Amino acid sequence: MNVENRRYVIIAFIITVGVMYTFRLFYMQVIDDSWSNRAHKISEKRREITPPRAVIYDRNQTKIVANKTYFNLMVIEDKMGENFDTLGFAKLIGWTTEEIHDRFAEIVKGEGIYHNKHNNTRVSNYQKIRPYPFLKELTKEEMARIAPRLDAYPGFFEEETSMRYYPYPNAANILGYLSEVNAKEVKSDVFYKPSYNIGRAGIEHYYEKELRGLKGVHYVVRSALNNDVKKYENGIYDTVAQQAPPIQLGLDIDLQAYGERLMQNKKGCIVAIEPKSGEILTMVSAPSFDPNLLVGRKNVSKYYPKLINDENKPLFPRPTQAEYPPGSIFKLVQSLVGLQEGVIKPNTGFPCNKSLVGCHNHPAPNSIARAVQYSCNPYFYYAVKKVIQQGKEQSKFKDAALGLDLWERYMQSFGFGKKLNSDLTGLRSGIIPNTKFYNKWYGKNRWAFSTIRSIAIGQGEVKMTPLHMANLAVIMANRGWYYDPHFAKKIGAEPLLAFQKNTTMIDKKHFEPVISGMWRVVNEDAGTARRAQIEGIDVCGKTGTVQNPHGEDHSVFIAFAPKENPQIAIAVIVENAGFGGTWAAPIASLMIEKYLQNTCSSPEKESRVLKANLMGQ
Amino acid sequence: MRKSKSLINNLDWPLFLGFITLIVFGLITIYSVAFNEDHPSLFSFSEKYGKQVIWICIALFLGVMVFLIDSDIYKKFALPIYLTTMSLLVVVLFMPPINGARAWLGIGSMGIQPAEFAKISTALLLSKYISALNMKQLNSTNIFLALLILLIPMVLILLQPDAGTFVVFTAFFFVLYREGLTFDPFLLNFVNLIPKVRFKQTWLGTHFIPILFVFVFLSIITLLFGEKNIPVIPGVKLYGSFGIITSLFLLAGISSFFVQRFGLKRARSKAQLIIILCFILGSGVSLIVEKSFGSLAQHQKDRIELFLGLKEDPNGKDYNRYRAMAAVGSGGLVGKGYKNASVSSVRTNHVPESETDFIFCPFAEEWGFLGSLLLVSLYMFIIVRIFIVAERQRSQFNRIYAYSVGMFFFYHFAVNIGMNIGFAPVIGIPLPFFSYGGSSMLSFSIMVFILLKLDSQRRHVLR
Repeated sequence: MNVENRRYVIIAFIITVGVMYTFRLFYMQVIDDSWSNRAHKISEKRREITPPRAVIYDRNQTKIVANKTYFNLMVIEDKMGENFDTLGFAKLIGWTTEEIHDRFAEIVKGEGIYHNKHNNTRVSNYQKIRPYPFLKELTKEEMARIAPRLDAYPGFFEEETSMRYYPYPNAANILGYLSEVNAKEVKSDVFYKPSYNIGRAGIEHYYEKELRGLKGVHYVVRSALNNDVKKYENGIYDTVAQQAPPIQLGLDIDLQAYGERLMQNKKGCIVAIEPKSGEILTMVSAPSFDPNLLVGRKNVSKYYPKLINDENKPLFPRPTQAEYPPGSIFKLVQSLVGLQEGVIKPNTGFPCNKSLVGCHNHPAPNSIARAVQYSCNPYFYYAVKKVIQQGKEQSKFKDAALGLDLWERYMQSFGFGKKLNSDLTGLRSGIIPNTKFYNKWYGKNRWAFSTIRSIAIGQGEVKMTPLHMANLAVIMANRGWYYDPHFAKKIGAEPLLAFQKNTTMIDKKHFEPVISGMWRVVNEDAGTARRAQIEGIDVCGKTGTVQNPHGEDHSVFIAFAPKENPQIAIAVIVENAGFGGTWAAPIASLMIEKYLQNTCSSPEKESRVLKANLMGQ
Repeated sequence: MRKSKSLINNLDWPLFLGFITLIVFGLITIYSVAFNEDHPSLFSFSEKYGKQVIWICIALFLGVMVFLIDSDIYKKFALPIYLTTMSLLVVVLFMPPINGARAWLGIGSMGIQPAEFAKISTALLLSKYISALNMKQLNSTNIFLALLILLIPMVLILLQPDAGTFVVFTAFFFVLYREGLTFDPFLLNFVNLIPKVRFKQTWLGTHFIPILFVFVFLSIITLLFGEKNIPVIPGVKLYGSFGIITSLFLLAGISSFFVQRFGLKRARSKAQLIIILCFILGSGVSLIVEKSFGSLAQHQKDRIELFLGLKEDPNGKDYNRYRAMAAVGSGGLVGKGYKNASVSSVRTNHVPESETDFIFCPFAEEWGFLGSLLLVSLYMFIIVRIFIVAERQRSQFNRIYAYSVGMFFFYHFAVNIGMNIGFAPVIGIPLPFFSYGGSSMLSFSIMVFILLKLDSQRRHVLR
C-alpha cells in the first residue's frame, strides 16, 4: 500500500468540499431568491402611513367635517417585564385587575389562530413582541390623565390616531359615517388593511377615493425585537403621506341646522336646491341625529344599535330612498305636458265635476293658473285625459297606450321614474307607470285612461322621492331645465364635470301660466298655501296632500323663490301631518326666508312649527 | 542579525500573508457588524472591534514569542504540555457553567477555553508519538496508545459538553489516515482465529478510516433522503434506503463495467469482488440506519432531524440557521454593500452570534457571492498551502503537526460556513482568524506560528 498517494486523496476531498460550497453559495445567493425573500420578511418592514382624511367645507367655507386627534394606549407584552404592577396600572386606568386580564385575553382572541397544515398545529397570531392597542380612541383629556404616569408601566405607550369630528351636530344623513373595512374590501383594494376605516354612507362613501388621500410608505430595517433600526437604504424608496385636498359642498350648514330644528319631533324631509347650479343646499331627513354619535368604535357600538332599532328610522335616508306618491304637486307637471301637447291652452277651463273625482270647494277653474291655485282634481282629470287619449288610434285602448308612451317620455325628461345622476348613493328611481307596467297589470289593450286616471292627480301608482320633488321645484324655477342635483361644489382644484344640465321636453313659454298659478297658491286668498307667504319675497309653490293608507296623510309642499331669478327651490314632506298647506308650506317658507334674507319675519310661524309634535301616530 | 535574516528568508510568506488577509477581513467585518455610532473609532476599546484589535495585537505578540523559542522544545516538551492541558480540561469540569457548558477557565471576561489549547497539545503529542513509530511494524499497543492520546481530550470535552470542539477532534483521523495508520493489528487478531487463514493485512484495517467516514456519510444521506420530498435521483421517485440502494446498484454496475472494459486483467476479479462487497456493505448500512431510525422515539427523531436540517422550525430550534441562511442568501451577486447588512448586523440582531460563530453571515450579506467566493478561495488556498508545507517537511513530526493544523482549518471552515448554507449542523465553532473572540484568535495564532516556526527550521533536521 502506497501511503504517499493518500495526500492526493485528502487534497482532492478538500477541494471537492470547497467546490461544493462555492456552487451552493452561488445557488443560494444568485440563483434562488427564496432566501432573499425570507430575509426581506425577517428584517424589513413596509410601514404605511395613512394621512388624515380630507376636510369638508360647506358653501360658505365653514368647516363641517374635521379630524380630531385621539390616542390609543398601546401595549407590547414582552416589554412589560416580570414585576409589572398590574394593580397600580388598573388603578390608573380605572379598571379592575380582572378586566385587564380579560382585555388581554380579548386581544389574543381577536388576532385569531393560524392553522399550520403541514404539521397540523394551531398557533395564535398574537405575538408578544408586537404592539397592540390596549385602550382605543382615548381623547386628549383622557390621555393627559394617564400619560404622565405611564413611565412606571413598561410596555405601555401612547400612539396618535385621527378620527372624524363634526363641528355641527347636523347633516349626518348627508355626510355619512366611517366604519372598519370588512374582509372583502381588504381583498379588493390594496389601500385597505384590517382595522382601517372606510366611508360607509353619504359623502364619506361616495367620495371615499377623493377623501382618503395618498398613503405614505416608509421602508425600515427592523430588529429582532421589532424595533425600527434605521431607514431602509436611507429612505430613497420612502414616500410622504398626502392628505387629500378639501372638498367643498354646496350645502349650507346653517340652513341645514335650521331645517333640522324645524323638523324636530316630526318625520319627513326637506330638500333645498340652488336652481341654477343643481347644488343641494339642504337635505334634512327627520328625525335626524348628531353625526358625532357614529365616530369611533366606542360610539358606534353604543349608539348604532339604538339608531338602527329606533322605530322612527333615523338612519333611513328619506330624501333619497323614501318613495311617496307626489300628490297634487304632480298637477304642475300635467299642466305643462298638456300645454306642450297643445291639448289645453293657458286659458282653458274645465268644470269642477266632483262626480269624476273628489275635490274640495273652490271657485270655478277657468284657466291653468286658477286650476293650479285651487288644485282642482277634475280639471286635471280632463287635462290628462286629453294627453293620454289624443284620438290617434281608433281603439281607445291602443290610443291610451300610445298616449301613455308619450307621457312617459315627458316624465323621463323631468327625471321621474329614474335615478337622478348625483353624488349620493342608494338613490331610488320612484315609479312612473308605463304601458309595460299596465299591460302586465291589466293585460294588453285592456286598459284606457279611465283605468289609470289616478296618475292625473299624482296618486296611485306614481311614486317619487323627495329629491325628485325638489328637482321638480328646480325645473319650475328654471322654466324647463335642471342640473343633476349634487352636493360637491369643488374637489381640490379640479373642476367638477360629472354633473350635467338636462332639459325637459317643455318649452319655456309654457311655464309662465303654471308659475303664475304657483304664485297664487301662496299669495292669493284662495290659494292653498297662504301660510307660505313671506313679506317682500315672491314665493311660488304648490301644495300636495299624499293619501296614506297607513294613517294620517302626508303634508307636501314644493316651492321656489323669488319668482324672478330664483335662488332656492325646495320640497318639504312632513309625514302624517295632513294637508300640505298646514305644515309643509310654513316650514318651506321659513327655510326660504332664512336662506334668502337670513331673518325670520314671523316668529309666531316659527314657534308654531317648532312646538308641533307630529310623531304621535 | 543573521538569524532574523534567515527567518525572513525561511518564513512561508504566502501562508503568512494569507493569515494576515484573513485577520484584516475579519476585523473589517466585525467593525461593520458591531458598529456603534457613538464610538466610531476602530480603536474604541469598549466596542467589539476595539477589543478584537487588542486580541490581534496579543496574538501577534505571542507569534513573535513563538518565533523566539527554539522549535525543538515542542517535541521535547510535548508530553508535559499535553498533561498540563489535560489537567486543565479536568479542572474546567468543576467550574460553574457558562451558557450550559463548563468550558471556561478564569474569572469574568478574562476567561480562556482549555479545549482550544488541548487541540495544540494533542497535535504535538500525537505528532511526537506517531513519528516515533515504524508504520510497517505496528502492534496493537501502538494503535491503542495513539487512540488514547486522542480519546482522553475528546471524552473530557464531551463532558463539558462542547460538541463543536469534539467534532473538530475527529480531524485527527484524517491525519492518521495520511500517516498510514492501519487497524490491522486489531483486526488480524480476530481474522486469523479462523482456521487456515493467515493474513498479513486486511483491506478493512488498512482503509478503516475512509470506510468509517463513508459509513457516516451513507447514514446521513440515508436519513436525508428518507424525507418524502427529496428523491435520491432527481426525477425518479425513490426515497430513503431504497433509493440509496438503487443508486448504489447503478453505481456498482457502472464501475463494474468500466473495470471489465479498462481494468488490468490481473486486477479485474479482485476489483469486481471489491465492488460487490462495497455494494453489499453500503446497502446494509443504509438499510440498518433507516430501520433503526424508524424505531427511535419521536423526540429523538426530532432532534436528529433538526440536527441534519431535515426540519424547518424557523422560530424554534432552527431559528439561527434559518435566519443565517436568509442573510447569506439575501447577499445576491455583489452584496448589499459595506455596513448595509440588514439581517445579520448586531443592531437588528436577527442572527444571534453574528459577530462570532455566524460571522460568515454579515460577510456574505455585505459582499455577496463575489465576497463569499473570495473568502472560500482564501480558505482553500490556506488549507492547501498548509498541506504543501506539510509535505515538504523532512521531519515526520513536523509533517504530522502540519497536517493536524491543516485539518483543523478545514474542519472549522467546513462546519462554520456549512452551517450558514445548510450543509452542516449548527455547532458553535468559530471561523479561524475571522470570528470575534480571544480564545480562538490566540489558539489559532499559536498553532499557526508554531507551524511557521517549524517550517522555517525544517532544514535544521538535516544537521
